[in-house]
Amino acid sequence: MNTILETRSLNKKVELGKNNELHILKDVDLMIEKGEFVSVMGPSGSGKSTLLYNGSGMDRMTSGSVKFKGLEISGMKEEELAKIRLSSMGFIFQDINLLKNLSLIDNVMFPALVSKDADKKAVHQKAKKLLEMTGIEKLADNNITQASGGQLQRAGICRALINDPDILFGDEPTGALDSKSASEILSILAEINKKGTTIMLVTHDVKVAAKTERILFMVDGNIVAEKKMGKFDSLRDDIMEREEILIKWLMENGF
Amino acid sequence: MIFKIIKNDFKRKKIVTAAVFVFITMAVILGASATNIISNLIQSMSELKAHAVPADIAQMHAGKFDQSGIDKFTQDQSEHIALQETMVLLSIDGRDIHFGNNQTMVGTVQDISFVVQNRKFDFILDLNNEKLDIRKGELAVPIYFMEVYNLKLGDTITLDSKGYRKEFIISEYARDYEMNAPLTSSKRFVVNQSDYDEMIEKQTGELEYLIEFRLKENGDSQVVQTAYIDAGLPANGPTVGGELFLLFNALSDAAIAMIIILISFLLVIIASLCIQLTFLATIDEDLKEIGVMKAMGISRKDIKKVYLNKYRIMSAAAGIIGYLLSFIVVNLFNGNMRLYISSELSGNLKYVLSLIAPVVVYLMIVLYCQKVLRKVDKISAVEALRSDIMERGKKRKYSFPLLSNRLFTINIYMGLRDVWKRFKLYRLLIFIFIACTFIVILPLNIYNTMNSPEFSTYMGIGKCDMRIDLRKTDTITADFARLQEDLENDPDIEKYAAYITCSYQVKNAEGSWDYILIETGDFSVFPLEYLEGRAPERAREISISFANASTDGLNKKVGDDVVVRASGIDKTFKVCGIYQDITNGGKTAKADASLGLNEESVLWYIVNINTTPGVDIRNKMEYFQNAYHSAQVNDIKEYTQQTLGNMIDQLGVIAIGGIAIALIIVVLITSLFLKMLLSKDGSQIAIMRSMGLTTQNIKNQYTAGTLSVLVLGIILGVVASDFLGEIMVSAAMSSMGAARIQFVNIAWQTWLLCPLALIAVVGITISLSCKVAVEEDLSVVLRS
Ligand SMILES: Nc1ncnc2c1ncn2[C@@H]1O[C@H](COP(=O)(O)OP(=O)(O)O)[C@@H](O)[C@H]1O
Ligand SMILES: [Mg+2]
Repeated sequence: MNTILETRSLNKKVELGKNNELHILKDVDLMIEKGEFVSVMGPSGSGKSTLLYNGSGMDRMTSGSVKFKGLEISGMKEEELAKIRLSSMGFIFQDINLLKNLSLIDNVMFPALVSKDADKKAVHQKAKKLLEMTGIEKLADNNITQASGGQLQRAGICRALINDPDILFGDEPTGALDSKSASEILSILAEINKKGTTIMLVTHDVKVAAKTERILFMVDGNIVAEKKMGKFDSLRDDIMEREEILIKWLMENGF
Repeated sequence: MIFKIIKNDFKRKKIVTAAVFVFITMAVILGASATNIISNLIQSMSELKAHAVPADIAQMHAGKFDQSGIDKFTQDQSEHIALQETMVLLSIDGRDIHFGNNQTMVGTVQDISFVVQNRKFDFILDLNNEKLDIRKGELAVPIYFMEVYNLKLGDTITLDSKGYRKEFIISEYARDYEMNAPLTSSKRFVVNQSDYDEMIEKQTGELEYLIEFRLKENGDSQVVQTAYIDAGLPANGPTVGGELFLLFNALSDAAIAMIIILISFLLVIIASLCIQLTFLATIDEDLKEIGVMKAMGISRKDIKKVYLNKYRIMSAAAGIIGYLLSFIVVNLFNGNMRLYISSELSGNLKYVLSLIAPVVVYLMIVLYCQKVLRKVDKISAVEALRSDIMERGKKRKYSFPLLSNRLFTINIYMGLRDVWKRFKLYRLLIFIFIACTFIVILPLNIYNTMNSPEFSTYMGIGKCDMRIDLRKTDTITADFARLQEDLENDPDIEKYAAYITCSYQVKNAEGSWDYILIETGDFSVFPLEYLEGRAPERAREISISFANASTDGLNKKVGDDVVVRASGIDKTFKVCGIYQDITNGGKTAKADASLGLNEESVLWYIVNINTTPGVDIRNKMEYFQNAYHSAQVNDIKEYTQQTLGNMIDQLGVIAIGGIAIALIIVVLITSLFLKMLLSKDGSQIAIMRSMGLTTQNIKNQYTAGTLSVLVLGIILGVVASDFLGEIMVSAAMSSMGAARIQFVNIAWQTWLLCPLALIAVVGITISLSCKVAVEEDLSVVLRS
């Protein structure tokens, strides 16, 4: 198989003050294969988000190694990291991080228009297609104040996908949504994953994790267990059953 | 609890708080400096006046003189006149006064005279405003000459006239209430009585008489002047009244002070814009915090207290610091005043008046806070927690979609549309840039205008290459005839015109008689630009200066009749035009030669000359200067230079100072603005970076936005200082006799050099302060 993201002895420490250091990630080793749909679970404060941000190069790790598509990113310059984020990574957040002064479709298109030789027409077509796929094509020209949370999150996903990333990172993207919207978002993510995009999702929601392929369990800065459940197929698999298995597994690991 | 919240708030918003603090302090410093200058001017002018005890009426006279007639007149008019004293001026030719390395004072437009201190009034003072008391062998030099010739105390001045040689050591500066100003074309050197007697004995120089009157408290100046004329007492020179001294004295200072005050005022505006800017920049954050506090269950009253107290503490501290600093900063502005009016500037009025600035600024800020807080009252806790309150309720149509951009790169486009979208915020920056451009361009425009040959327009002189002044001497009539003959036969002279100025009497608005200076000659040779009408062409036509035409002059319009008495005969003239003139107190007139000369009171002869092309004007000037000893030969530029000399120099300093101040402000405010903007936009920037924009991309956005604002501000600023500036300067100068000033624009300076300098400086500032924090982990801002 093809590893897309690999961390070795990844450590993250944060200075809180004089002689007061918080060791958030402790020698984390992790491999994510191309096309995988991985979720990271764990109690609040265990370092899930920190792992996501350090693994994606958004934050600077304290020590260790992170390879993205075989390239070591720990020593990279800010510009190189930005370039990788632009072309190969997509991010979705719990807070809907859209730009205030742009309409939904402009938010979606923006990352694609940054490169100098962007083909505006093609970008526009693609953005429209993505909006259609996520079901918000009617809101394309709305300001971000004129859409609901779920709709904005869909736009966020479209934006993350506009440059055809290899991997999509999500930090509790459904955390602030009602359960209906959450499950719709998750279906969209599953759809995307099916088309080949690797996804790494941080969540504390069993319902969400149950729809992913591989679940990592983090406690206190370490990945203490992992469970492979195989890709979820709504036709084949019973979601209730998967959730039960997962809960049981989590309880075994002391959640 | 409340104190803790305030402390936390200070800590949390260090940069923004510091910025607000700096702005408030700046506002106070400048406001206090401005009021300081005004109060100093008022107080030290009156103090100077109190020490100098100037005359209320001063009559110049050259020629036969008899004191007994004047004594009798004084007696007769004792109802009005309190004191009378005649100062005998020993007038000396500038070429006879030597100093430094073989330099002389030849070529000065000033009439120089040596005098001894008066006994009763009109005292000439030293720099401490004490009556000058000059010892034998020493002399006091007018401040004007100290400045113009760069003389120092202890230097030697040698008088060398007709074989008589005498050396003086400069022991004092002479501060002369009546003749301080360069515009007063006489300057008095003060010497010891015995030296003076010796000079009289050796017949150095001509004698002139300054017949001075000091009136009783309710003495009527007009009555005394009319009675003086009617009594036929010596009066073949100009008469000067008390207000004119004040005007002349305050003229250059007031003009300069006005410009400085204007600048200070602009700075105060800038500072208050800054405060508003700060509020706008932090309001989202503040509202959020207020929401949190409300959610915590803190009462509205307490929340208000927290906010008000925060800004109260800040503006009080800034007020105190700014108030104290203003007493240092003000020294940048009042150098001229300290020299010409009062070295001490010790009055305590300024301490009181300067307090106005911090108090006003304090009140402004507290009121503004209350206004903001009133808005907050209406916002429920929940609403306040949801950010973007400022954006709420605005359902504007979406403008400037990304795809409609064809011209710019996406980042530049984002920067430009940000200016449009948040114009309320950037608008303040535009105002600041406009004001700064104004501060740079206005003094520059004034400086260039005064420095240009065109300025002769405002001095009642037609444009010409060269001008020869013949002042009153025994040989003046003969010299004048010889000069005209000379000019007639000189092939180097293209054309010339001779003008004779005499003092006449004119019937004023009340029907009594005033003195008026009228120039006669052919005015078609060197045309002057007229405000209204034209120059006199036919018999019985007269044109009058703006100040004469105005209501406190003769109150005449074009077409009105004016009655002039020449050699005892009354003649009626029609006003054919009004021109601008700031010389001779602004009150002059020009008439056709049919008026005839008032032989008794010819004041001066002037010849305007244009040389044939190719002739070296310098050489020609030197030739005339040598051929006619009593003449003053100037080119027009030199003439304005000397008359307005130190005003122009000071304007030069102000222009440079203005540029420096403007640049400092622009740098300071641009960097603070960007700091605030960047911290306000922290989350938006983090979002863009998470999408993969480099810090350079983001920097480009902000650079494009601020630079476009800068360019807009500069264009508006240049236009404003051209048009508005002209109006303002004309208004200020109209009391001096020039009502319609047109700036001489040196295009490469106003349109190229200054804007480019500003753009360069701001550009560098932007690129330096537009630092998007990179070290910080991106997630810190992004995750909640
Ligand atoms: N920049 C930071 N400064 C201080 N503490 C941090 C920082 N980032 C994370 N932490 C702390 O590290 C721990 C792990 O954080 P996080 O990765 O967000 O946990 P999770 O996402 O699993 O809830 C938490 O206790 C959090 O408060
Ligand atoms: Mg988290």
